[in-house]
Amino acid sequence: MKVVYLDNAATTAVDPRVVETMLECCGPDGDFANPSSVGHAPGRRARARVEQARAEVARLVGAEPGQVVWTSGATEADNLALFGAARFHRALGRHLVTSRTEHPAVLDSCRQLEREGFEVAYLKPGPDGIVQPSQVEAALRPDTILVSLMHVQNEIGVVQDVGAVGRLCRARGVLLHVDSAQGAGKLPIDVERDCIDLLALTAHKVHGPKGVGALVVRREPRLGLVPILYGGGQERGLRSGTLPTHQVAGMGRAFAIAGEEMHADAERITALRELLWGALEAIPGVALNGHRSQRVQGILSVTVDGVEGESLLHALADLAIASGSACATTNAEPSYVLRALGLSDRLAQGTLRLSLGRFTTRADVEFAADRIVTEVLRLRAIAPAAPRTART
Amino acid sequence: MTDDPRYGAEVRRRMRDLPGAASLPEGVATASGGAGDVEQGARVEFEFQVEGGRVARGRFRAFGCPHLVAAASWVTDRLRGSGRDEVAAWDWREAAEALEVPPAKFGRLLTVQDAVRDAARNWPVEPGPGV
Repeated sequence: MKVVYLDNAATTAVDPRVVETMLECCGPDGDFANPSSVGHAPGRRARARVEQARAEVARLVGAEPGQVVWTSGATEADNLALFGAARFHRALGRHLVTSRTEHPAVLDSCRQLEREGFEVAYLKPGPDGIVQPSQVEAALRPDTILVSLMHVQNEIGVVQDVGAVGRLCRARGVLLHVDSAQGAGKLPIDVERDCIDLLALTAHKVHGPKGVGALVVRREPRLGLVPILYGGGQERGLRSGTLPTHQVAGMGRAFAIAGEEMHADAERITALRELLWGALEAIPGVALNGHRSQRVQGILSVTVDGVEGESLLHALADLAIASGSACATTNAEPSYVLRALGLSDRLAQGTLRLSLGRFTTRADVEFAADRIVTEVLRLRAIAPAAPRTART
Repeated sequence: MTDDPRYGAEVRRRMRDLPGAASLPEGVATASGGAGDVEQGARVEFEFQVEGGRVARGRFRAFGCPHLVAAASWVTDRLRGSGRDEVAAWDWREAAEALEVPPAKFGRLLTVQDAVRDAARNWPVEPGPGV
């Protein structure tokens, strides 16, 4: 069975050019050595790979290479940012601000910090998914030490105005952490311009490998962090552990390609997304979630009224897409993100996330649109008559 | 349609073909019943055409997960030829076994059972000879 992959917000295929770079670091003739072993030539070659990648990642986000700390992904980067900053600065205050629609890597870390004696304000976004900078400003207190706001929401694709939030945080002397797992490489982001103190990144959302990410840490003035991993003291003591040269090199290459091709990719993917939305919008009872225009190019979240979500996903087995449930298992919980936007549980469960990437084609989108229209109409035809329900 | 191991072959077949999904034509003696709530994610409605005191054919409408839809479809076949008492006594466990429904979905089958028994309560009075 042909399956069209439209789950690029979950992960992306590794770009063949990235694969090539990674392979150069794997085999016995490659740059496989431990990059900390700079006492021999293979180690120095591996170190050079790591530093080249560091520069490539830094360049994409307006940072200096020395600001980049390698991690295993955005989850670890988020954890290091939140625990590292909160624990280091706890004498200055114990209040944090975030939003209800952050990734669990942030929300679960915040809950742990609450158990450690911190207070956290969870801001409710508007029905369009946007957290207004004025909301952040209103939530700041004299003892607020950190604001954490994601760049692009992973379920609905809306883009937060992190620059405006960054400027107001900087003016108030509050740290800003931004999870840009879904944004970096797709939208411009600049830690200097946007006044971002801690920026979490990952490779696998931009056609890089899984298992590698980075935290970009402000250097001027130096930002103190308490590590969450201890060991060999790599990454200036902030993240111990042998660096996976092939993963790191792959992330660097993926970010370099993303930087070079961002504009062209964005234009092409936006056109495909609009083609898809145009077809779905024609179905009565289908609604777009999140702000209409303040969104990343590749993510489309649509709620289909009158169809049960699990059955729709089952019927669309020829599409690799995500649902509005936490999972598609028998214990599926409606998405907390969609609930925060005001959707009922039923509508949240009737929501599909379609996410496009560099390798999505027009034929893929046309096939997906046709399949969704067909299956929605087929399942609605067997459903008991029920009034269409507006959002709560 | 899918090779998803969470759904047995019969569930997959019934979701693909949807046998029994429709409404009966107007004017036939029908035992109709329903249960569940679309807002709660599960609603099933049955119409059983009754001839000579027995189900001649059944039709369903359903809103719910694949197991629920498949079970509703399966019931329309299973109860063909059954009298009112058999319909009223039908037990969801039969469908659970036949369709390899996981325990976490048993509650959905209770909705199907409730709809079947509701139909039994609404059994039609057929016109007698000479009427």
